[in-house]
Amino acid sequence: MPTYQLTVNGRVRTVDADADTPLLWILRDTLGLTGTKFGCGQGACGSCTVHLDGQAVKSCQTSLKEAAGHSVITVEGLSKDGSHPVQKAWIAEDVAQCGYCQPGMIMTAAALLKRKAHPTDGDIDEAFADHVCRCGTYPRIRKAVKRAAGGVK
Amino acid sequence: MTSRRDFLKVTGAAGTGLMLGLYLEAKPRPGEATKATFRPNAFLTIRPDGTAQITVPKVEMGQGVRTALPLALAEELDLDWSKIEVVNAQPGPDFKGMQTGGSTSVSGTWDSLRKAGAAAREMLKAAAAAQWNVAADQCRTEKGFVLGPGGKKLGYGGLSEAAAKLPVPKDPPLKKPADYRLLGKRTPRFDGPAIVTGKAVFGLDVRRPGQRVAAVLRCPVPGGKIKTWDDAKAKAVRGVKAVVEVPTGIAVIAESTWAAFKGREALAATATWDEGPARDFNSSTLEAKMRAALTGPADDARREGDAGKALKAAAKVLEAEYSFPYQAHATVEPMNATALVTADGAEMWAGSQSANRAQERAAAALGLKPEQMKVNVPLIGGGFGRRLGTDFSTEAAQVAKAAGGGPVQVVWDREDDLRHDLFHPATLHRLRAGLDGSGALTAWAHRIAGPAVLRSWTGGQKAPSQAATESNGAYDIPYAIPAIAVDFAEVEAPTPLGWWRGIEIVPNVFARECFLDEVAHALGKDPLRLRLELLGERGTVKFGRETADIRRLKKVLEVAAAKAGWGRKLPAGRGLGLACHAYDGRTYAAEVAEVSVVKGRLRIHKVTCAVDCGLVVNPAGLEAQVEGGIAFGLSALFSQITWEKGRTVQTGYHDFPVLRLADMPAIETHVVPSAEAPSGMGEPPVPIAIPAVLNAVFAATGKRIRKVPLEDNLI
Repeated sequence: MPTYQLTVNGRVRTVDADADTPLLWILRDTLGLTGTKFGCGQGACGSCTVHLDGQAVKSCQTSLKEAAGHSVITVEGLSKDGSHPVQKAWIAEDVAQCGYCQPGMIMTAAALLKRKAHPTDGDIDEAFADHVCRCGTYPRIRKAVKRAAGGVK
Repeated sequence: MTSRRDFLKVTGAAGTGLMLGLYLEAKPRPGEATKATFRPNAFLTIRPDGTAQITVPKVEMGQGVRTALPLALAEELDLDWSKIEVVNAQPGPDFKGMQTGGSTSVSGTWDSLRKAGAAAREMLKAAAAAQWNVAADQCRTEKGFVLGPGGKKLGYGGLSEAAAKLPVPKDPPLKKPADYRLLGKRTPRFDGPAIVTGKAVFGLDVRRPGQRVAAVLRCPVPGGKIKTWDDAKAKAVRGVKAVVEVPTGIAVIAESTWAAFKGREALAATATWDEGPARDFNSSTLEAKMRAALTGPADDARREGDAGKALKAAAKVLEAEYSFPYQAHATVEPMNATALVTADGAEMWAGSQSANRAQERAAAALGLKPEQMKVNVPLIGGGFGRRLGTDFSTEAAQVAKAAGGGPVQVVWDREDDLRHDLFHPATLHRLRAGLDGSGALTAWAHRIAGPAVLRSWTGGQKAPSQAATESNGAYDIPYAIPAIAVDFAEVEAPTPLGWWRGIEIVPNVFARECFLDEVAHALGKDPLRLRLELLGERGTVKFGRETADIRRLKKVLEVAAAKAGWGRKLPAGRGLGLACHAYDGRTYAAEVAEVSVVKGRLRIHKVTCAVDCGLVVNPAGLEAQVEGGIAFGLSALFSQITWEKGRTVQTGYHDFPVLRLADMPAIETHVVPSAEAPSGMGEPPVPIAIPAVLNAVFAATGKRIRKVPLEDNLI
């Protein structure tokens, strides 16, 4: 059985699992990083969003084989202490309700702002098109993204 | 048996009584309290280092109880909010009323939490006064300290040992609202920092030593049973440990979630089913039965005057049929629970809105006493009434038992979640209005036909309050009309049912407020003016079992209309619509929606909401509930569950669409100040969102929409 190597939150990890295992379950079950959430497993809710080489990807639709050899950042690795500008903006706007979908939202926001420091409303709509928040925190997500704009290096 | 609301009231009261009993009893618990720890009641522990632990007697599912409920206690005790730790209660003798639903969490605990804080405050003051040899009334409290004459100051931590030895006052004085330091101020969500760093622990994040994961293969037709299966291929999947039969299906137990899912997929290919009595059920036959029931016999929910006679005598009768589909909860965290069965008992981790029932039922399923089943309630990734059900928690206990030892987490996937929801059922509505020659509304008749949700709560029995419960939002129509007839004709359906955010009020208020809009236009009257006229100059009015203060409803309607600029000139294709409701006679809310329809596509620009929910505990939480409630309501404009051959057609967010960020309107919230006791905010914003929008669509286009979900092309 082959093993796979990937860098997760800056640390090289060797994983012994089937090649088609979604990265989501490697993170949650193998590595114990439960900040990345399972919402649908169908690529339709965005709760499992992580960064793969800096790009926001859905970890339920990314296989271990695809992630191997790459760098993965999860919500736990976004900052050491919650000080990432997006995390700070999320607190300042008091975004979360139940909070379950928010790690995915935060990872998408961080990737968006890295790509485009000052996104338009249209950019924000597009970036979050595949995300679901059933509690309806959307107006605050938009505000928090704008608050963090320009602050993500 | 009683209605859901009565049930909540009763259990809430029982819980309160017990908590009060405890607070009078005031015994520290062995093992939990050291000599220096002050634990005057089940809600509060003050440690010698001055930190305070508050136990929240309701469950957090996003509605903010882990912030709002501690605020009530902390206010009376003058705690330092930055030194508070919040923990979740566990069902048991201390907490018998953990059921969380019906927008009752704040109102149901408000008195006991404030009294718990006030009693502790008086005891700490007495302890300090004794130490300083002054009278207790010469002392006051502030941010975790008792302050005495001459600049004396002692922290709560240092006083905790002495305070613990004092009697608990039975009737401690409560603060006046003018003296509040925390209540009424914006307090950010307590769990915000844990959520944004991924540290918050939801049910699916529970990890116990030696934990395995199970996925259950269930019959796609609710109520069906497994007939035959072959587990050889499932067992060959890497990581699968066992395949066991449980009452709900066949559980595949594995080392990881992915292995459990893959094993279940292999098993599913081999399964044959006895699909049971629901096998031929489909939405179109149900609709035909509901339509027939619109004119057959029914149970009265409200009857004032003689609506039949008044309709016959009317110069003009308006009649319309409204339709609302089955809806799912579709919480983003799918159902799950983790259970461990040992030789002498069991333990469970379940995101339950009904922890006491979850405990009782899981214990009963395992042949245990409730006290042998310890239940931990982690954070809940969306509830909306779905997790009032105990199906998923009982099933997890059964799987853990069948697995033969060690903790097992049962994980549902999205398809499980939609196929085996406890659905909010479809209804058809027949509305008739009688208008006399002078343009007055003389009669109102509202017939509702559909399955009865209340039976899901009464073990299948028909409760005496069934008609009132199923017509909630319709029977309590707040308008003064000489003849009113509201009734409910039950149509049976073999589908699991359950409570849903806003309950029956959502479809019923949709039909009522849209049809009233039709009446206004038929009379050539402005819809706001007609509502204000029909609300009239009345005070508290009783409708059947409910009372509501019409003045409060009128006020929120006026405020929402004024803030939204009701009556202003809008460009072609753009319109304003409004709706209002007195939720259970407790929370008053009105919404004005501004929409446009371009090339048949609806765009909801803004919803302006005015609410009166009594005293506002946390304005930040209130606004979040308004935004979330409107989002939940609007989401239902676009979604439905349909049935074919006993199965849901929908299996995921791709075919059960929920509102996305780009569709979310701007929300403006206005609070009408009130000195009344706080009521609740979780559900009241939900039911008026759909009618406000559809009335706005009519204003924008002249097209009256009477059916949810919307079609893709509105015109």
